[in-house]
Amino acid sequence: MNQEELKQIFLAEAEASFEELNRLFTQLEKNTTDREATEAIFRIIHTLKGNAAAMGFEDIASIGHLLEDIFSEIRKGKIVLTSMVFNDLFKAIDKLGEMIDGIKVNKKTPYKGLRAKLKVILRNLKGDIEFEATQGGESSEEKDQALDSILASKVELQEEKVEANAYNEQPVPIGVPLADEFEEETDEEKKAKITFSDFVQVPVSKLDTLLNLVGELAIEKDRIIAQGASFGTTNEYTRLYRITSDLQYSVMGVRLVQIGALFHKFHRIVRDVATLEGKKVNLKLEGTEIEIDRNVLQIISDSMIHLVRNAVSHGIEGPEERKKKGKKPEGNILLRASSDKEYVIIEVIDDGNGVDAKKIRKKVLEKNLATPETLSALSDDDVVKFIFEPGFSSVENVTSVSGRGVGMDVVKRAVDAVGGKINTKTILGQGTTFSLSLPSSMAVKSALLFVVNDVEYAIPLSFTEAVISVKKSAIHKVGNGLVTSHLEETISVMFLKDIFECANNDELLEPHLLHKSFDKINTDDSKINIVVVSVDNRMIGFVVDRLLQQKEIIEKPLGKPVENARFISGATILGNGNVCLVLDANDISEFLFKPTFATV
Amino acid sequence: MNLEEPNEVSSSRVDENKMASPVDMNRTEADDQEKKSNIIVFRLGEEEYGLRIDQIKEVVITPRITKVPLTPSYVKGVANIRGNILAIIDLEDKFALNNTISETSGYTLVVESHEYNMAILVKDVPNTLSVADTDIDYSPSVVADMQGEQDYINGIIKINDRLIILIDIFKIITKEDLKPVLGA
Repeated sequence: MNQEELKQIFLAEAEASFEELNRLFTQLEKNTTDREATEAIFRIIHTLKGNAAAMGFEDIASIGHLLEDIFSEIRKGKIVLTSMVFNDLFKAIDKLGEMIDGIKVNKKTPYKGLRAKLKVILRNLKGDIEFEATQGGESSEEKDQALDSILASKVELQEEKVEANAYNEQPVPIGVPLADEFEEETDEEKKAKITFSDFVQVPVSKLDTLLNLVGELAIEKDRIIAQGASFGTTNEYTRLYRITSDLQYSVMGVRLVQIGALFHKFHRIVRDVATLEGKKVNLKLEGTEIEIDRNVLQIISDSMIHLVRNAVSHGIEGPEERKKKGKKPEGNILLRASSDKEYVIIEVIDDGNGVDAKKIRKKVLEKNLATPETLSALSDDDVVKFIFEPGFSSVENVTSVSGRGVGMDVVKRAVDAVGGKINTKTILGQGTTFSLSLPSSMAVKSALLFVVNDVEYAIPLSFTEAVISVKKSAIHKVGNGLVTSHLEETISVMFLKDIFECANNDELLEPHLLHKSFDKINTDDSKINIVVVSVDNRMIGFVVDRLLQQKEIIEKPLGKPVENARFISGATILGNGNVCLVLDANDISEFLFKPTFATV
Repeated sequence: MNLEEPNEVSSSRVDENKMASPVDMNRTEADDQEKKSNIIVFRLGEEEYGLRIDQIKEVVITPRITKVPLTPSYVKGVANIRGNILAIIDLEDKFALNNTISETSGYTLVVESHEYNMAILVKDVPNTLSVADTDIDYSPSVVADMQGEQDYINGIIKINDRLIILIDIFKIITKEDLKPVLGA
C-alpha cells in the first residue's frame, strides 16, 4: 500500500475519531461520572495515538499520549473532573482536530504549549490537587477573554513559561495563565467550518446485502435473457446484460481491500515472536497493493498469523545455528501476494530449516495417522502434507507461540472454506514456502452443473480437470473402491449417488458402499459420465447422472441448522429459482482418503 | 416488516385471497388491559401447535425443495424463499406424528431469526389467536420427555375444548440433533 493511501485511510479514521471524541466529551461533561464514556474516550485516544505514531505524525501522537495518560488517571478514579479541566481538554481535542486538518495541507500546528499544559494537568492530577480550590470555575472564562489580547502577542514567551512551569515540581494553579491557550487560530472562520471526509464507512453487513441483491439480479438477468433467446430477441437484452454485469463487478470491487491491510500487521507479530524466541528475523512484503475480497481476507487472517508465527518459531533457526550452517544470523520471511486470473496467491516464504520429512514420518506413525505400508509408499512431498492433519504437531516442545497441536489443520480448513488451495514446498536446510491460492472474490465463481438423482449440483471449475465418459468395463473394483484410468493415470472413481443416498454416518462407513451403484449397472457398454476433479493434487472421478452447462454462480453458505452439512460447501439459486447445492470436493476427498476409511 | 392489520385479534382464517401471496404475519401487540400474546396456530398430525408471532416472519406456498444429503430426516432440504436459502423443517417428522403434510402442496412458515435460516412445513395457512397470558399453562411438567428435550415446549394453551402446544422453535433444533450432520 502506498504512503498516500495509508494517509488517506488514517485521515478518514482520525476524523471519525475526532467526531466521536467531541461527542463523548460533551456527554462526559454533562455527566462526569459516566464510566462508559471515559472508557470509550480512552480507547479512541489510544488507537488514534497508535495510528498516528505508526504514520509518523508525532504531534498527534504526542498530544494523544498525554491525553491517554490523563484519561488513564480518570479511569482509575484518581480525580474528579471539573469544568476547568474540561475547558482544557476541549482545547486539546480542538488542537487534535487542527492537527488532523493540518496533515491534509501539510501544515504543522504548534502544539508545545498545549503539551506542556497537559503535562501540568497530569502532574496536578497525580499530586491529587483540587483545582477547584485554586480557581473559581466561573470567572476563568472572563479572565481567559481578557487575557486573549495580551497573550496573543506573547506566544513565544508564554510557551517558554509553560515549559518552565511544567518542570516545576510545585503544583501549578490551572487557570488564568495556562488555560488560555495562545490562539494561533486567529482565523475564526476556519474553526466554524464543518468538513466531511472523502470516505464513507459502510458496515460489511450492508455490503453483503448489496452483493446478495446484485446476485439475485444477475440470476434474474440470466432467466430473462434465456427467455428472450427462445423468442429470438437476444439483442434487446444486450444493454441489460452489460449494465447488470457492470453493476455486479462494481459491487464486488467495493468489497475489495488491499492485502497490505493484513500484511502490515505482521511487522509487529514477527518482531514479537522473534524477540520471544531470541531470534533475528527480517520481514519483507511484496505485492501489498493486490486486492482481495474483504471477507476472504478476514477468514484467512488467523491462518496467516499462524503460518507466519510458525515460520518464525519453527522455521527460522536461532542465530547460532544459522551461523553454523553458513547462513546470515538474521532469518528472512517474505510475504508475497500476486494475482492469477480469479485467484490471489499469497506466499509465506522463510529461509529457515525446512520441514524434515523423516521427522514427519516418525510422528505420523506415533500418532497412528497412517499405516507403515501406506507411509513408505508416499513421497516426501506427500508426507509433508500430514502437517495439515488434525492433531498433528511436529515440534517436540510446545512453546507459548505456536505448536499446541492445533493450527495447521485449522489453516487448511480456513483455506478450504473460502474455496482456496494450500501448497507446501520445502527444502531441508533451505526453507519452506507455503502458498495459498485464494479466490479474489467470494461472490462469483464459474461452476459446472450436473444432475445426480434428479437433483442439480454444482462444482466450482477451480476443482474440475476434465469431463470424461467411459464404459462400465473401463471401471474396476480395487479393494473397497473403484478406479479407472484417465490420461494414462489411475484415478479413484466414486458414484456420488452412493454417498448422497446415505441417511446417516453409519451408512457412510459401510465397506461396500462405493460399489453399490456400480453393481446396479447391468450392461458393460453403458456410458458413465465422470467429472474428474483435482483435490490436493489427487485426482478423483465423480460419477454423475447427467451433465448440464457451465455457469457463473453466486455461492451462498448454508445457514443454521444445516450449515455443517457434509460434502456441501454452500448453495446457489439457479435461473429457474431452484436451489442448487455446491459440492465440497475437499470434504469428499477427505472422506474417501481419510485413513480410517482406507484401512477398514 | 410491514405492520398491516394492527390489533386485528381474531382466530379467523387469514383471508383466502391472500393465500397465494405471502402473508405478513407480524402485527402489533394487542394492547388490552390484560396481557395477551398473539399465537400462530397450525396442525401437526392430530394436534394443534402454536408459535409466538414474533418468531414467524411470513407464510408462503411451499417452494420446490432441494434435498441435502446426510441431514436428519426432518430436514427436508433447502429452498429459495425470496432469494434466501432456507432449510425446510418437517416438525411432524421431528415429533414422530402422523404425516399429514404434503411437501408439494402445503405452506411454509418462515422463521424470523438472525441465527437460523429455516422454515417449517404446515398443511394449511395457519390461524392467529390472541391468548391471554392467564390461559397459558407455563408449567407443563406433565410432558415428561425421556430424552430431556421438553425444553422446547413453552406451555400449554387451553381455550374452550382446544389444547394448543406452545413451542419455542429455536429450542427445537438442538446441538444433539445436528450431530449426525456434522459428520465423524
